[in-house]
Amino acid sequence: MAKIIGIDLGTTNSCVAILDGDKVKVLENAEGARTTPSIVAYTDSDEILVGQSAKRQAVTNPKNTLYAVKRLIGRRFGDDVVQKDIEMVPYKIVKADNGDAWVEVSGRKMAPPQISAEVLKKMKKTAEDYLGEEIKEAVITVPAYFNDSQRQATKDAGRIAGLDVKRIINEPTAAALAYGIDKEGGDRVIAVYDLGGGTFDISIIEIADVDGEKQFEVLSTNGDTFLGGEDFDMILINYLADEFKKDTGIDLKGDPLAVQRLKEAAEKSKIELSSSQQTEVNLPYITADASGPKHMVVKLTRAKLEALVEHLVDRSMEPLRMALKDAGKSVKEIDEIILVGGQTRMPMVQKKVADFFGKEARKDVNPDEAVAVGAAIQGAVLGGDVKDVLLLDVTPLTLGIETMGGVATPLIDKNTTIPTKKSQVFSTADDNQTAVTIHVVQGERKQAAQNKSLGRFDLADIPPSPRGLPQIEVTFDIDANGILNVSAKDKATNKQQSIRITASSGLSEDEIKKMVRDAEANAETDKKFVELAQARNTAEGLVHASQKTLLEAGDKVTADERSAIEAAIKQVEEVVKGEDQAAIEAATQKLTEASSGLAQKMYAEAQAKSQAGGESQNTGTNNKDDVVDAEFEEVKDEPK
Amino acid sequence: MTEQQNNPVETENPAAPEDQTAETVVDIASLQAEIEQLQQQLADAKDQTLRTAAEAQNVRRRAEKDVESAHKYALEKFASSVLSVADNLERTLEVADRSNEALKPLTEGVELTSKTLFDALTRFHVEQVDPLGAPFDPAFHEAVAMVENPAAEPNTVLQVMQKGYTLNGRLLRAAMVVVAKGTPKKIDENA
Repeated sequence: MAKIIGIDLGTTNSCVAILDGDKVKVLENAEGARTTPSIVAYTDSDEILVGQSAKRQAVTNPKNTLYAVKRLIGRRFGDDVVQKDIEMVPYKIVKADNGDAWVEVSGRKMAPPQISAEVLKKMKKTAEDYLGEEIKEAVITVPAYFNDSQRQATKDAGRIAGLDVKRIINEPTAAALAYGIDKEGGDRVIAVYDLGGGTFDISIIEIADVDGEKQFEVLSTNGDTFLGGEDFDMILINYLADEFKKDTGIDLKGDPLAVQRLKEAAEKSKIELSSSQQTEVNLPYITADASGPKHMVVKLTRAKLEALVEHLVDRSMEPLRMALKDAGKSVKEIDEIILVGGQTRMPMVQKKVADFFGKEARKDVNPDEAVAVGAAIQGAVLGGDVKDVLLLDVTPLTLGIETMGGVATPLIDKNTTIPTKKSQVFSTADDNQTAVTIHVVQGERKQAAQNKSLGRFDLADIPPSPRGLPQIEVTFDIDANGILNVSAKDKATNKQQSIRITASSGLSEDEIKKMVRDAEANAETDKKFVELAQARNTAEGLVHASQKTLLEAGDKVTADERSAIEAAIKQVEEVVKGEDQAAIEAATQKLTEASSGLAQKMYAEAQAKSQAGGESQNTGTNNKDDVVDAEFEEVKDEPK
Repeated sequence: MTEQQNNPVETENPAAPEDQTAETVVDIASLQAEIEQLQQQLADAKDQTLRTAAEAQNVRRRAEKDVESAHKYALEKFASSVLSVADNLERTLEVADRSNEALKPLTEGVELTSKTLFDALTRFHVEQVDPLGAPFDPAFHEAVAMVENPAAEPNTVLQVMQKGYTLNGRLLRAAMVVVAKGTPKKIDENA
C-alpha cells in the first residue's frame, strides 16, 4: 500500500514524517538529522546542494544560496514582503514575465516553486530511503494566512518534485491533528501558539463536527515575522560578548570563530536553563591578546536569562490579543492551547501563555515536529491506511502457569499483539510423577497465588521417570477474538490435554490497571519471593541428587561421609520449610560441601566407565535449549 | 477440556427421493453461488495474508536497519559533547610556551592527556577532519569566511579554524574553515 508522507515545509527548516504501523515516525535524512534546513545552493560546477551542505557553503556563494524562499512563493514582485526581502537577502530577486516574484541565479531566472521543489525532493528521498519503496504522494503544510496563490505555488513545488500533493493543510491544523484534538468529542476552539526559530504565529481555529466528519476552520491568524528563537539566542550572545568586553576589554564580535563558539554556547545554555536553574558558559581559549590566551567563564541563572528576554516574550502577547479579537472569542472560550516550535520549551514562555489564557497549554507532542506529524496523520487518513490497518488487540496482562514453589512462570508477556502462540517445555518435580497440573494464571505478580486464576487441568498417564526427564510441552494459543487455548502434551507419549478460556473469564479494565499498579508497588516483595522459591528449589534439588548419589554409591561411601551427608540433608529439609532464605542457602552450601567428595569419586568412576562406551545421563534436561532447568511442575498427587 | 477429535460431518437423513429433486436443483445453484463467494473471500484472505507477510518483512528489515544505525551512531551525542574537550586540549598545546622549563612537566602532561583522548576517539571510530589545503567540500566543511589569496587555489581551504569530526564515516561536526576566494565568475556580480 503506497504511503502518503507528511511534509512540514518551513521557512528555515523542513521535516518529513510518516505513519508507520500505528505510530507516526519522523524520518532522519541521510546526514542523520530529523530536520533539514530549507536552503538550496547552486554551485559553480552546476551542482545543486540542499540542506546542511547548502548552509555550510553560504558564505562562499551568497548570491546563489537561496534561503527563506517561503517568503516569496506565490507572491507578486510588487508585494511589500517581497520588496522588504530584496533589501535583506544577498541573492537576486527579480520580476517574472507574469509579475510574480522570482529569483535569479547565475543569470538563470527561476520560480520559487522550483527552489522549494529541491527541498521537497530531498524530503521525498529521505522517506524513500527509509521505506525502501517509491513515494508518489504527500501532504504539505502551509501557514494559515497563505492565500490561494501561495497554496497553489506550494502544490506546484510538490509536482515539480515528483509528488502528487493530495492536500495542502494549515500548520495549526496539522498541529491539532498531532495532538489528537480532533479525536476528542464536541466542537472546540483551539489556540495554536507557534514560536519557532524565526517567526511567531498565533492561530485560532475551530473544530466542528459536521455530519460525522471533523471540519477545521481558521477563525483568525496573527503573528510577528521577526520574532523567533534566534532572537533569544542573539540577546544572549550579545550579553556574553558585552560582559567579556567589560572584563577584558576585548570585543569578540570581530572574530568569526569566537562568534561561532559563542553562538553554540548561548544556544546550549538557553536550552539547559529550560530544565536547570543555572548553568555555566565555559569557553577556554576563546581569544588571546598580548598577555596570552583568554578564557570565558560566566555563570548564568534562569532568572538572568528571563530578565534579558522577557520583552521578547511580551511582544508575542499583543498578536495574541489581536487574534482573539479578530476571531470574536474571549479567553474563556478557548478550549485548548497547543504549543508549536522549539522556543516554546522555555518555562517562561509556557508560563506567560498559561497566564494569558488562564489554563495550561498542551505540550506533550515534540514542538519541532508536531506539524510534520500532523501532516503524516492527514496523509495516512487520506491514504486509507487508518482504515486498512487491522486494529490488533494486545493481551493486557501476562499469561502463564504456576510452577514449582508457587511461582508464576510467564508464557505470553503483557502487551503482546494477538493472535499469538507460544510454547515452552516443562517437566516433572518428583520421581515417578505421573501427572502434572496446568494452572493457568493471569497477572504481573511473581506469586501465582496473587494472580488471577483462569483455569486448571491435569495431564495424566506420564510414564514413571526420574524427575526432570519427561518433556511436557505447554502451549498458549490466543486467537484474534481473544480466546485462549492452553494445551499440555507429553512429548514422549503424545498424550495431550487442553482447556479453552474465553475473554470473560479474565479481568476487567479497572482490574487490569489495578494489577499493573500492584505489581509495581510489590516489585520488591515479589523479587524476594522469587529468590526464596529459587533457593528452595535448588535446595530440594540438591537433596534429591545427594540422596540418589548415596543410594548409587552403596558401599563405596565411607561411614563418615554418609553420616555427614545425611546430617546436612536433614538440616536442609528442616530450613526449607521456613522462610529464611539465608538459612536455606547456607544449608544448601553445607550439603554441597559434604557431598562434593563423594560426588567427585562417583564422577571419576563414571568417566572411567563412559570411556569404555557408556551413555551419558540427564538427556532430558541438558540438551534441549527450550527446557528451562529450574522450573518443574508442581506435584499434585491426586489429579483434580 | 477439549481434546482433539474427528468431527463427523452430520448428514441429514435423505427424505422421499422424488420431492427432493426440484429442491436439490435449486440448492445446487445457491450452493454454487455460495462456493463462488467463498472462493472470492478465500482469494481476498490469501491476498491480505501475503500483504501482511510482506509488510511484516518490511518492518523486520526496517527494524534491523534501525538497530544497526543505533549501534553505529549510539555515541553521537556523547562524542559531540567531548569534542570541545579535544579542541581545548589542542588549543592549550598551541599556546604553551615550550621554551619555559618550569612549565615543561605541565605541558608534557597535557600532551599525554590529549593523546589519550585522541586514541580513545579513534578507537571508537571518531575521526578528525583536517582539510588544510584541500578543496572546499560543504559536506564536511563549514565556510566562515572567504578571503582573497592569489597564492592559493581558488575554493580551497586556507585556514582550519576548528577541526571537524566524523563518527563511523558520518559527519559529527563540520570543520570550520576559511576558503580562498575563487576567480570572479563570468556572470556579473552586481546585485
